[in-house]
Amino acid sequence: MRDLLSVLVTVFIFPGFGFLVACAFLFEWIDRRTIARLQARIGPPWFQPVADLLKLLSKENVLPRQADRPICTALPVVSLAAVLTAALYIPVGGRVVYAFEGDLIVVLFLLSLPALFYFLAGWVSGGVYSIIGGSRSVLQYFSYEVPFLMALSAPAILTGSWSISEIISQQTGAGWILLVQPLGFLLAVVGLIGKLKRVPFDIPKAKSEVVGGPLTEFSGRKLALWHLTVDIQTVAGIFLLVNVFLGGGNLAFLRYSASLGLVRAAAFAVKALAMLLILSVTSALYARLRIDQLTSLGWRVLAPLGLVELAATMLIGVV
Amino acid sequence: MTRVTIPVGPQHPLLKEPLSFRLTAEGERVMEAALRMGYVHRGIERLSEERNYVQNLYLLERVCGICSHVHTTTYCQGVEALLELDVPPRGLMLRTLLCELERIHSHMLWLGVLAENIGFSTIFMYSWRDREIALDIMEDLSGGRIAHAVNTIGGVRIDPEPEQIRAARHRLNALEDQVDDLVDVVKYEGTLKVRTQGVGGASLEQVRRHCAVGPVARAAGLDRDLRRDAPYAAYDRLFFNVITASDGDVWAATWVRVLEVLESLSMCRQILDDLPEGEVSTRAPRRVPEGEVVSRAEAPRGEVVYYIRSDGSDKPARIKIRTPTLPALSLVREQLRDINIADVPVVISGIDLCIACADR
Repeated sequence: MRDLLSVLVTVFIFPGFGFLVACAFLFEWIDRRTIARLQARIGPPWFQPVADLLKLLSKENVLPRQADRPICTALPVVSLAAVLTAALYIPVGGRVVYAFEGDLIVVLFLLSLPALFYFLAGWVSGGVYSIIGGSRSVLQYFSYEVPFLMALSAPAILTGSWSISEIISQQTGAGWILLVQPLGFLLAVVGLIGKLKRVPFDIPKAKSEVVGGPLTEFSGRKLALWHLTVDIQTVAGIFLLVNVFLGGGNLAFLRYSASLGLVRAAAFAVKALAMLLILSVTSALYARLRIDQLTSLGWRVLAPLGLVELAATMLIGVV
Repeated sequence: MTRVTIPVGPQHPLLKEPLSFRLTAEGERVMEAALRMGYVHRGIERLSEERNYVQNLYLLERVCGICSHVHTTTYCQGVEALLELDVPPRGLMLRTLLCELERIHSHMLWLGVLAENIGFSTIFMYSWRDREIALDIMEDLSGGRIAHAVNTIGGVRIDPEPEQIRAARHRLNALEDQVDDLVDVVKYEGTLKVRTQGVGGASLEQVRRHCAVGPVARAAGLDRDLRRDAPYAAYDRLFFNVITASDGDVWAATWVRVLEVLESLSMCRQILDDLPEGEVSTRAPRRVPEGEVVSRAEAPRGEVVYYIRSDGSDKPARIKIRTPTLPALSLVREQLRDINIADVPVVISGIDLCIACADR
């Protein structure tokens, strides 16, 4: 009974769904607020993300006649499920819902699923803007995903493990992987920005070109779930990068016992917020690129850099 | 590849005013564009025949929400020519001051719109925040931020006190600091350049063929500016450069406009430093003698032409307005051929369309 209760708490409260959703709202608020301050605006109050979600949940749910209704209804639910599941395997300050050898691969796979569903959403919802946005999102997917995967494989090769927890524990005494692979970290951040479709890679949903992109025809509950998906994806992506490159809750070069759980949690929070700050500042700094500019950046610059990164890591492993 | 028709407008996030493009696209490539306009036609030219010359001032100010002052300036100049009225120098100077302030706020508004359309919301926010300074000066001088009701036949209706002029000068300094930053952004910011350079290029030949005017024409190298070539108001007493570029693309047009803002700031300063004393207007009779006149002025977007015919009564027999957006629209249709969909907002906003002006 007690075990069941603790499992339920882990899955639904901490570090499970409840914590993730709370983080999603908090991160969205901090993000919007930071960008607003950088743009000489005030920004929304803390409850705005929650209010936005509630408003969308209560609004009318319309779809065009030519849209494929069952698929359109299922897509946001499935992609939300995918990112929530991915987040369950990512440790938060030393606590994790479920971990096993190879969970990094599962997380990467689950985190890339929403991109596919996003494309499908554009394809089946029956609007011109949606179709263009959808085809753009696929082009974009291939540009950022390859360097992102290469950047995240390098730490796994370096530590010799595909388990996130193992990668973290390897960083405990030896320092952060960021210090060994700054290039990989940079590629991972760029890839994450592409994954989250933030400026300068918000190409599939560029409103002056394709209105709302693949989500143009979505409204009400379905749109609310899409927004929540992106928010949770942001949280999961940031947590993943903090774990893999910044040593999770570890302080650099410092070994401390498990009793310092609070310090560990605080360190993790600070790192996650710093990552969020990087994302916010980048999106205030740039204009949106064109899709052909992004693909050429992805394949001419990012992917070769990723290869260099991988080759270097393997060489270090051999030596 | 199958062709799809993409509707852009009459309601679309890219357009701030109703206008309709039907783009025929193959994949990400726009093959051709069809244009439809007239959504904000208000029949202003016909209405102006129903009103007397003074009432028309307030009607014509509402042709456009951005260049409202230049419309009344052109109209007043025409009527003053028919009446053979001489406007006092102070009146002319103040009229010019408002013209230049309006150019500043129009160009900054445009820079914000361009930035927003290429997804650069930070510059949109900055540019529109700084534009408020120009609006504040106009509000302080005239009481109106957008529709100023400054012009009247025979002069202007404002006569600023010395402290108002001092305040305006302070505000101009603050504005210049901000504009300098924006100039740097246009000059050095990589993503902005990548999105605007080589996009929407208009050659000098295209510009001449479509009779394009204003910053778009000057960006393509056409060295033409009415303020210098056919000085009206007090422009013959001011020192300024006509900014031109040679590439004709959207970046060149942006560059021309931000530098024009700096020139306008310097002109405003010259006016405030050197404002003559005396009356601001002369009395004008209600009836205008029979005759016809063509009056021109350089609006922020280029040359505005008014044709006014009088039959000797207190109402005009005909007023015909030609705004700079009309040639720009035929140019933009040609530019929207064989380009990337992502470049459509850049091309359309680069040309600075004013639909309310064009539809009237």
